[in-house]
Amino acid sequence: MAKLEGSFTVEDMKNVQINIGAVVKEEEEWDQPMGPFPKPQIATLRDWDFKILNRYKIFYAPADDTCTLCTYGPCDLTGNKRGACGINMEGTCGKIVLIACLMGTCAHTAHGIHLYHWVMDRFGDMKFDMGTDILYDAPVYQTIIGKKPRTLKDFGEGLTYIEEQVANLLAATHTGQEGSYEDFESKALHASMLDHLGMEICDMLQIVAYDMPRGDPNAPLVEIGMGTLDQNKAVLIAYGHNLAAGAEAMVYVENNKLWDKVDIGGVCCTAHDLTRITEAGNPSILPQNLGPKAKVAGAIGWWRKMVRAGIMDVVMVDEQCVWCDTLKDCEERKIPVIATTDKIMYGLKDRTNDPVDAIVDDLVNFRVPGVVILDPMKAGEVGVKTAIAVKPKRAEIKAKSVLTEDEFKKLVSSCTKCNECAFVCPPHIRISNLMEEAAKGNLEPFSSTYEVCVGCGRCEQVCRQEIPILKMYEYANREYIKNQKFKMRAGRGPARDTEIRTVGAPIVLGTIPGVIALVGCSNYPNGTKEAYDLAKEFVDRGYIVVTSGCMAMDMSLYTNEEGKTIWEQYPGGFDGRNICNVGSCVANSHIAGAAIKVATIFAHRNHRANWDDIADYILSKVGACGVAWGPYSQKAASIATGCNRLGIPVVVQPHSVIYRRAYLGRTDVPEDWVVIDARDGSKVRIEPAPEHMLYIAETKEEAMLMMAKLCFRPSDNSMGRMIKLTHYCDISLKYFGKLPDDWPVYVRHASELPLAWKDQMMKELEEKYGWKIDWKGKKIVEGPIRPADVSFDPTNIERKIRVRK
Amino acid sequence: MAEEIQLDISPMYEGERIRKEDLWIEMGGPKADGFELTLAASMDEVQDGKVTVIGPEPKDIPEGSTIPFGMIFKVAGEKIEKDLESIIERRNHALLSYISGLMHLNQRYDIWMRMSKSLQKKGVQYWEQIFKPVISLYKAEMPFIEKMEVTIVTDPAKVKEELEKAMQVYRARDERAKGLHDEDVDVFYGCTLCQAFAPTSACVVTPDRPSLCGAITWFDGRAASKVDPEGPQFPIPKEGLKDPIAGEYESINQMAAKRSGGEYTVMKLYTFFDAPHTSCGCFETIGFYMPEVDGIGIADRDFKGAAPNGLPFSTMAGQTGGGKQVVGFLGMGVLYYFSPKFLQADGGWRRIVWMSKRLKERVKEGIPAEMYDKIATEDDAKDLESLKRFLLKVDHPVVTGVVRPVDGKKITEGWKFEEITDELKEKVIAFIEKYGGEIDTDNVKNELLMSEGQFMQVVEALQADGVLE
Repeated sequence: MAKLEGSFTVEDMKNVQINIGAVVKEEEEWDQPMGPFPKPQIATLRDWDFKILNRYKIFYAPADDTCTLCTYGPCDLTGNKRGACGINMEGTCGKIVLIACLMGTCAHTAHGIHLYHWVMDRFGDMKFDMGTDILYDAPVYQTIIGKKPRTLKDFGEGLTYIEEQVANLLAATHTGQEGSYEDFESKALHASMLDHLGMEICDMLQIVAYDMPRGDPNAPLVEIGMGTLDQNKAVLIAYGHNLAAGAEAMVYVENNKLWDKVDIGGVCCTAHDLTRITEAGNPSILPQNLGPKAKVAGAIGWWRKMVRAGIMDVVMVDEQCVWCDTLKDCEERKIPVIATTDKIMYGLKDRTNDPVDAIVDDLVNFRVPGVVILDPMKAGEVGVKTAIAVKPKRAEIKAKSVLTEDEFKKLVSSCTKCNECAFVCPPHIRISNLMEEAAKGNLEPFSSTYEVCVGCGRCEQVCRQEIPILKMYEYANREYIKNQKFKMRAGRGPARDTEIRTVGAPIVLGTIPGVIALVGCSNYPNGTKEAYDLAKEFVDRGYIVVTSGCMAMDMSLYTNEEGKTIWEQYPGGFDGRNICNVGSCVANSHIAGAAIKVATIFAHRNHRANWDDIADYILSKVGACGVAWGPYSQKAASIATGCNRLGIPVVVQPHSVIYRRAYLGRTDVPEDWVVIDARDGSKVRIEPAPEHMLYIAETKEEAMLMMAKLCFRPSDNSMGRMIKLTHYCDISLKYFGKLPDDWPVYVRHASELPLAWKDQMMKELEEKYGWKIDWKGKKIVEGPIRPADVSFDPTNIERKIRVRK
Repeated sequence: MAEEIQLDISPMYEGERIRKEDLWIEMGGPKADGFELTLAASMDEVQDGKVTVIGPEPKDIPEGSTIPFGMIFKVAGEKIEKDLESIIERRNHALLSYISGLMHLNQRYDIWMRMSKSLQKKGVQYWEQIFKPVISLYKAEMPFIEKMEVTIVTDPAKVKEELEKAMQVYRARDERAKGLHDEDVDVFYGCTLCQAFAPTSACVVTPDRPSLCGAITWFDGRAASKVDPEGPQFPIPKEGLKDPIAGEYESINQMAAKRSGGEYTVMKLYTFFDAPHTSCGCFETIGFYMPEVDGIGIADRDFKGAAPNGLPFSTMAGQTGGGKQVVGFLGMGVLYYFSPKFLQADGGWRRIVWMSKRLKERVKEGIPAEMYDKIATEDDAKDLESLKRFLLKVDHPVVTGVVRPVDGKKITEGWKFEEITDELKEKVIAFIEKYGGEIDTDNVKNELLMSEGQFMQVVEALQADGVLE
């Protein structure tokens, strides 16, 4: 049918019904043609998922042999048995993975949905503008949805799309629906791709609405640590992931000039977002440069230590990683709690519609342990007023809530050394030894294990003497807590387009060996220190290191010999030998976004509605590796799985075994490592690069080795491969005292051998591996899986073949 | 023979800084003379692996002192020629920095090196213990170096003397590099390094046209293709000259067709317009054609804000790149601005109307003196209107027509109206009425924003209409 334009008349028509649908918007100004997969459905990218899953085998290690999801069960699934619904063990494992990924996706997306409505209420619709340095402004959105959002309201379309997909995906987990574990994994990959979309929408909304840094490598250094909260002022803590109420508290303090009376600190990602507010300098209805006035109290793993340290007067909780016993811990210490979103209400009364003063009065007089206030502005005002009014009343309670020297000594002597505590302690700290030493007056063991302790409190639950062990830790580390004062670079948001262009050449030339993304929650024995060690190792080696969330906070707690934190040691750009804090959890989407931008900015690939093409490019050419170090929440599961669908491998920490799933490559199966050369469609066997998609490392040293290895890509040119191989071998030598067993697998040409060991390696190739070497020309004549060919254009997608042979 | 010491050698030490507290010995730098010189020699002139020291050894130098320092590397091999000297020398920075505890900055007579106490702790006493491994590193990286010998000079008088000689070598090299043109060589070099990311990119590097990423000169290409004949840099015989002015060669066309997988069959070296060079993603600067003034502007990667065409670097770069030939945009390397063949088919510098300020300053030496003040920067022109005004004021060649220096051919006609609209006519009538008969060309430019030619175009149209006589 020809397209009709202009007006029409209805004069002579009878019985005609005219439907007017949505008014079609003006054609967008975007020179990229619409790609093949706008708003992909569950089955749309299934082919791509199966390509990943065929190469990277799904590996399950179920912790539970039964399925207990419905009342036909519990069903025993051992020994190839099937459940009442017909599901087998693999299917159940896949289903659990999908459900976990959906939880993660929903957590971030629901955060975005809340912000979407709140931002519209508070600020009205705004132009979506990331500034002149970022024109590829919502790369994940554009890759999935195929549209460019012009205003914040436009993001609603993306949220609606996610909601529909999530409903379909969750439906598939009902009893008797999907039965194939591979399809469950494909669905998990789909769910997790949506997670990156949900995160990006969420962060873009807050960046614009709250005028956060837009890819600023010089974002301000903000204060972090328990010691930064001024105990001469009332301390209000905002705990969780949603900045709405905390930001209003800051605005209230600023507008009423109360900073001399109140300190506001954040715990977990809310801390990141509060310290990012109004730093970009654009006109805003909020006061300018508010962000650096807030402080970062600490990451998720420090919460129970913080509350026991008595550093806070009021807590506002919002959503996501907020411990469920927060109210209990606070009530015991008479710290009023304000729940500010409907995701966490702790059974408290909803006082959203009550007058501010009445609520404050009830809280200050401890008539209720806490309240629910779903209006962020009111919650902010109540929080500040309560903090100021309750502070003097709490002074005595505060003093009582922590141990005195006498009490401490008495507790020390009450320990019977039954060691029940050591058994349940995740890092198995021999607490009885600490007690023994403390009895002699030596508190050092209590100090040196303070960071090893994850603050879970299991020891207290099993202690027959009811010794409050965490409180004892607080007593023994009081000086440390007071002095826990460091600096962290505020979350800068996405990589700038120019940064991507600048690193393009060094990535091609190999002088930047890869991109390392450190994400997740490092609340793991020694996790905070390990976050620093991992980052430092790779920044020093010239990798681009990006980080976010609790990982970024935890690595801030250490300094070098000059007393500088990692943020003061290195610049904050998206560049080699830089360290870049993208921001809170939802800012993780910028890491996926940066990988997409390498493909689209540097290599001019069309990303519009073209997920598999971009993912294929990244899998073949962009040496990036993610790391989630620490217990692995469902959000981390979906972040990692979403990276996997984009062709980015991820290394996780031993606790992650709990999801019982890994994606592992089989180097002993050559046919798994065959790709298409896009130049002529021929099939080429490649070295296993990257070898795994989701790998569980047991130690930080093993993780480092794997991170370096997972930055290999088939398209590495020889110089790049040499540098990557050098780091891989060097890390192995440094931490394991030997070269890795599989180094020859990655050698295609003599120029790829690390310079320092070149002769020795050539000899070994000849003698141990039977390669043919031309010693005069110092060349490898025979041996590698394939020769080096810089023009090789590897792909896994048939439609990318340029000219068929 | 000094005892061999196992040094820590890895690229991860490249960015290592040695701070004052860790300093053992400082060599060269702002406080003392220093130089590095690599010389090609014949096989029998070089004694492989030998380290000669003139002056004190590290063990005899007081801790924390700064000494004059010279290092002379002599290399020999079947494929080694004089032109490779500076290429090998340029690797000093990276390779010396790979050694943990050794810092190397700058180049030639400007070197600034430091050894840290960690080397002292390891037991280093003699220069040989550092420079023997350096010889191995060189030979590993560049297998065409068959023999290498090192002379370390630490005797102050001798450093002065050798530095004088080195200065002469640098001068001679610079003369040679500057004096070397496309006519003087019979081979160009292709580079496909970027194909790993941009599969149709096919770079040609000639003496007069260095790479757009700024990383590869003709000399680099030559060295690299010798190091690794099957590697990403390869020789292209200079054959089948089809157009000397635009720089079209049969052999380059064939290379482009082959390396781009048939995407491009013609690629010319010295032009912006017809079948220009492909642009990868890592060009240092971008040129953009502005039809409104019939001239070319250039912005560098660090230029913030919008060029007169309303576009920032990032948008323009977004339109280019990916190894494509893009009409109206061209990625270019900074060194190309010093080339005598710089866009010679299009009029060279006479066609350049705007440059970002930083870039203009940086390449000042390359811009012909008579053109320097005629090229606007963001201080002079932020949009097309202010650019037009500027170009009229300085009598830029694009206004009246560009005569290209290479062959004296007039290649543009200067500014012309395509259509004489009534609006233009009214403007000119009003102008003439204001000044009566006294037409001053400066007033035409300032008030009408027209060139003389354009003004006369309108006047002629008015005459044809019979409005004017």
